[in-house]
Amino acid sequence: MKEVDARGLSCPAPVLQTKAILEQEPLDTIKVIVDNAASQQNVDRFLKSQGFETALAKEGEDFTIVGKGGAKSTPQMDPAPASKSGVQQIMVMCTTDRMGFGDDELGLKLMVNFIRTLKEMGPDLWRLVLVNNGVKLAIEGSAVLSELQAYEKEGITILVCGTCLEHFKLLERKQVGITTNMLDIVTAMQLADKVISI
Amino acid sequence: MTFPTDENVLVGLDRADDAGVYRLSDDLALIQTVDFFTPIVDDPYWFGQIAAANALSDVYAMGGVPKTAMNLVGFPLKTMDISILRQIIQGGIDKMVEAQVVLVGGHSVEDSELKYGLSVTGFVHPERFLVKKNLKQGDALILTKPLGTGIINTAIKGGLASDELIERVTRLMAALNRSAAEVMAAYPVHACTDITGFGLLGHLAEMVCGSGHSLLVQSAKVPILPEASEYAAMGLVPAGAYHNKTFREHMVSFEASVDALMRDILFDPQTSGGLLISVAGERAEALVADLMAKGIDQAAVIGSVIADPSEKIFVQ
Repeated sequence: MKEVDARGLSCPAPVLQTKAILEQEPLDTIKVIVDNAASQQNVDRFLKSQGFETALAKEGEDFTIVGKGGAKSTPQMDPAPASKSGVQQIMVMCTTDRMGFGDDELGLKLMVNFIRTLKEMGPDLWRLVLVNNGVKLAIEGSAVLSELQAYEKEGITILVCGTCLEHFKLLERKQVGITTNMLDIVTAMQLADKVISI
Repeated sequence: MTFPTDENVLVGLDRADDAGVYRLSDDLALIQTVDFFTPIVDDPYWFGQIAAANALSDVYAMGGVPKTAMNLVGFPLKTMDISILRQIIQGGIDKMVEAQVVLVGGHSVEDSELKYGLSVTGFVHPERFLVKKNLKQGDALILTKPLGTGIINTAIKGGLASDELIERVTRLMAALNRSAAEVMAAYPVHACTDITGFGLLGHLAEMVCGSGHSLLVQSAKVPILPEASEYAAMGLVPAGAYHNKTFREHMVSFEASVDALMRDILFDPQTSGGLLISVAGERAEALVADLMAKGIDQAAVIGSVIADPSEKIFVQ
């Protein structure tokens, strides 16, 4: 559970802080601590508007809001265009921005080609997960950005590892996909009929 | 605390009305009021206009005509460019010109936080000024500007409002209550105030306290900025609305059908809000029609004064 300390802030700052955190990383459970009843009610209302079930409490001088089940709106729980007969759910995980080992220049070209050709999987292509160097495919200037954006438009979920973006200081430069966490990635692996890792 | 007074004080601190009223002669009384605040919009020129419209409003709410004004300025000289102050004051002056009020002086101090407002002097006949606390049974309640500016200002602060909305709300806050005051002068108005920090229900609570009557408010008829509900649902309700609610909730009886968002909007603190007019019921529709004809197109009858000595506000 993620804890947000919004004490010392007045409206609307606690709501905006909570909103920013949820935008960065879809969470199933979140606890927000504020120091006044007005902020508590506002954060409560905001979390409800985002699909959370909430519980309010007073802890000493602090007011808390615990939101649960918010991740309903994120990919991990969505009932998926799943078991339409004959269609499988293929998850492709790219852990790198170049394909194979040996020549890096060649690897880059191959990766571009790979992403472009993925569409041949048709409706079986379910989720595309980008981790480690793979997140570099989703940022501005990436050679496959327009392809990824087109996939997203078609309804293919693109999950981009938040920790990795942060590590490379690329959070601000991501141009496609949903920033995600390991729980989402693991859940996606479990739901997928097939996981292809590059 | 006791306040110095004399026989010519017609409305003083003991009555806590929108402005003080002092009799100068048998046919002339002075109205005095002062109001200033910190910026509510980013644009300095519009902030000046809004602050001036807000200060002038108290005179209109007393049924008077503002004549002279003085600037009140707190300005952080060390951290802010002086040209910003010029724009603020220009906004104030333009609003005064529109109101046919003259600027006759002012005072500035260096302050860590920017503040601007006016001290305003107006005139009224000593027997014809309007106070808050004079509700008559059978009166209808009319509101002349839509509610929701507090919530929307909170959204603006949070960077969530569109430019179009910011402009619309800014113009609404900068609109003078002058025409509304001029129109109501020809009607049997018994009480009047303007809606500001206490929100609609807070100001109604002030009016009903000690009146021996109660009020019925029909929430569906209250004019509201459409975006206010949306932002209230997102939790962008200013702390002031919660304080207003906590302070006055015991006087208000909500019907179950009035949802939580509507309750917050009815307590939402307004900046330079509209006039709240209590007029003889049979003339209410004519007054609203007259207001609309003068361009005050959101004016509406929102409730009435009812025969119930409990001094409560029933919201349905």
